[in-house]
Amino acid sequence: MATRFEFVLLGEDETLLQAAGEEALREITSLEKRLSYYSDTSELTRINRRAAYEPIPLAPDLFSLLREAERFVKKTGGAFDPAIGPLLRCWGFVEGSGSIPDDTALEEATAMSGFHHVHLDKNSNSVRFDHEGVEIDLGAIGKGYALDEAARIVKGHGITNALLHGGTSTVVGIGTSYDGEPWRIGIQDGDAVLGTIELENSSLSISARSGKFFTSGERSYTHILDPRTGHPTSEAAVSAIVSSTATRSDALSTAALVLGSAALELHDPETGVGVWRTADPSSVLVLDGLPAFDRNLSWS
Amino acid sequence: MLTMSNRMPNRLDSISRRDFLKTSSLGTLAGVLTSEWVLLEPEPTELRPSITDTVNCAVIGYGLWGREISATLLRLEEANLVAVCDTYPVMLRRAERSLSEISTYTDYREILDHAEIPAVFIATPSHLHSQIVLDALQAGKHVYCEAPLASSIDDARRIAATARAHEGQIFQGGLLYRTEPQYRSVYGFIRSGALGKAIMARAQWHVRESWRRSSPDSARTRALNWRLDPEISPGLMGEVGIQQYDTAMWIFGGLPTAVSGFGGVYYWKDRDVADTAQTVMDFSTGERMIYDATIVSSFDAMYDTFYGSDSTIILRDGKAWMFKEVDAPMQGWEVYARKDKFYKETGIALLANATKLDALGQDATDDDPNAETPLFHALKAFMDNYFFGPYEPVMNYQKSFDATVVALKANEAVIANSRIEFQPEWFEI
Repeated sequence: MATRFEFVLLGEDETLLQAAGEEALREITSLEKRLSYYSDTSELTRINRRAAYEPIPLAPDLFSLLREAERFVKKTGGAFDPAIGPLLRCWGFVEGSGSIPDDTALEEATAMSGFHHVHLDKNSNSVRFDHEGVEIDLGAIGKGYALDEAARIVKGHGITNALLHGGTSTVVGIGTSYDGEPWRIGIQDGDAVLGTIELENSSLSISARSGKFFTSGERSYTHILDPRTGHPTSEAAVSAIVSSTATRSDALSTAALVLGSAALELHDPETGVGVWRTADPSSVLVLDGLPAFDRNLSWS
Repeated sequence: MLTMSNRMPNRLDSISRRDFLKTSSLGTLAGVLTSEWVLLEPEPTELRPSITDTVNCAVIGYGLWGREISATLLRLEEANLVAVCDTYPVMLRRAERSLSEISTYTDYREILDHAEIPAVFIATPSHLHSQIVLDALQAGKHVYCEAPLASSIDDARRIAATARAHEGQIFQGGLLYRTEPQYRSVYGFIRSGALGKAIMARAQWHVRESWRRSSPDSARTRALNWRLDPEISPGLMGEVGIQQYDTAMWIFGGLPTAVSGFGGVYYWKDRDVADTAQTVMDFSTGERMIYDATIVSSFDAMYDTFYGSDSTIILRDGKAWMFKEVDAPMQGWEVYARKDKFYKETGIALLANATKLDALGQDATDDDPNAETPLFHALKAFMDNYFFGPYEPVMNYQKSFDATVVALKANEAVIANSRIEFQPEWFEI
């Protein structure tokens, strides 16, 4: 995750708020240690190294997270897929800032990527890969999951109104804001505020091509890859997903960026979707189910 | 495969890695002495023992540090964490969620009854260690006990005496730096004279956190906040200072003779236990240690610095640098060593992989995501002792007791804003 997490916790008892916030932050730190793709010592790395050779028993929470990831892979037709370690390596995003791979290497990495190589056994709570080189990176879902766990701890302390965010790209709104109104969150792309969204016991995730990228020639290449093609996505500039959990919004916002206009199909009673082709809010391609979306509020 | 001819135990059942390694090393020694290396004839399959590679472990106390120990045990391939005990059901549910194939208990004695769990790691509040450690040792367990050993010297002495009486069992105190590779490297360096005449140490632990714990259950909230209860809390010096006191005692090679303490509640006004404290400690070897700890400011985090007539060495984040005096003798190697700027000073990196970091363009002060924690190395030492020992642990009962006495007395000095002269008999078990 390697990002900054911040909480706003509302309540009368400052001591309780402090203790709850510290406990929630500790949980995030603990999850980061367990789920990091980039650390040699994480549980996820242990899985990535060994699951091609033997089934690896998983802790119930990690098994559930992988099962949820599997469901998102199916729901998005593979636009979200955490088993893209070989592709990330191939594009140079693991040990550097990115570079264009040759066709053969890309073909091999694409063949080696994808959650269809990952097998979850619910009887033994274990995971197995069907060949060497398969790697899971939970970067597109881990931040949301960590925030959901943090929210669970915060609520467990009896706190009913709070705002939690990780890196400003995933936000959890618990209850309401100071004024009893829903938490109002601006969606920004570069210097432009595209609009605001209201959150009340829901989560918002934003994905953007501009977050991390490299340039080659006159083209820029985002680190968000389309798992289906093996190439950096170019469909949209920004996507926004509002959903009941941050795990879900985090995963689906990545998928929405990859899907572009096709992201409309992600819309259901639990999920609001918005996708922008450029920073110009007039070019919103899809907008459905975003709660109280107020387009371009800051520009008016 | 070359191996010894007749050294494998002729047992039908499985043998432990521990037995295997001991047998193997004895066999290897005999082989060297007699030069009788021969190719082994394959034994009948039914006689060949299977090797159990792991030791079943249990963690007693699943609070913050118990969870850290559990997570670390998961990374040690020799350890098989099979059970967790905590008196708070919420913690057990947490363990069941985040650990695979785990059994949970609310009474530690049930774990002690399990003959197939030979190693227990005790991470309860400090004032609850004593009875658990005594029962665990009586039950024949190998014990890792968090530091301080106890929140009273009497309890700590009981623990140490019991550990001494069970010499066939491992007892390791939870003091982390004598087994940490960078610290061990610097220890050898300093002992070989790198500081010149050692004069003093300065160390700190700065963290921004409340130490406050909260639960919807008020009785549980009181129990969780034992660190803030002056009756049972070892204070900042007992809970965290003990680690750095022990480092100074190790590096200087002696016990302190006196400690002066200062401290108070400067920020977290909901308590009587100091949130910021300082001590000045005189050592029998002639050096002085200045130490401060706070949970109000996180500035500059944690470090240990050792000052001498030729150089000063600072250890932090698993790394170390040496700053030489201009008139200090050259040792040769430092010409080629990596150097890092710290404000107006230039530190010579005492890093095993400094050249590699240079090649990767990484700053020596960057955090290394792959670096193992001091706790990992401490638990690894325990595992090595289990499989290759038992031998005297680096942090044995005496050293763990010494550090506990020093830290608890330092806490007393802080509370009383006074100077305490250490009496030799305090360190007797």
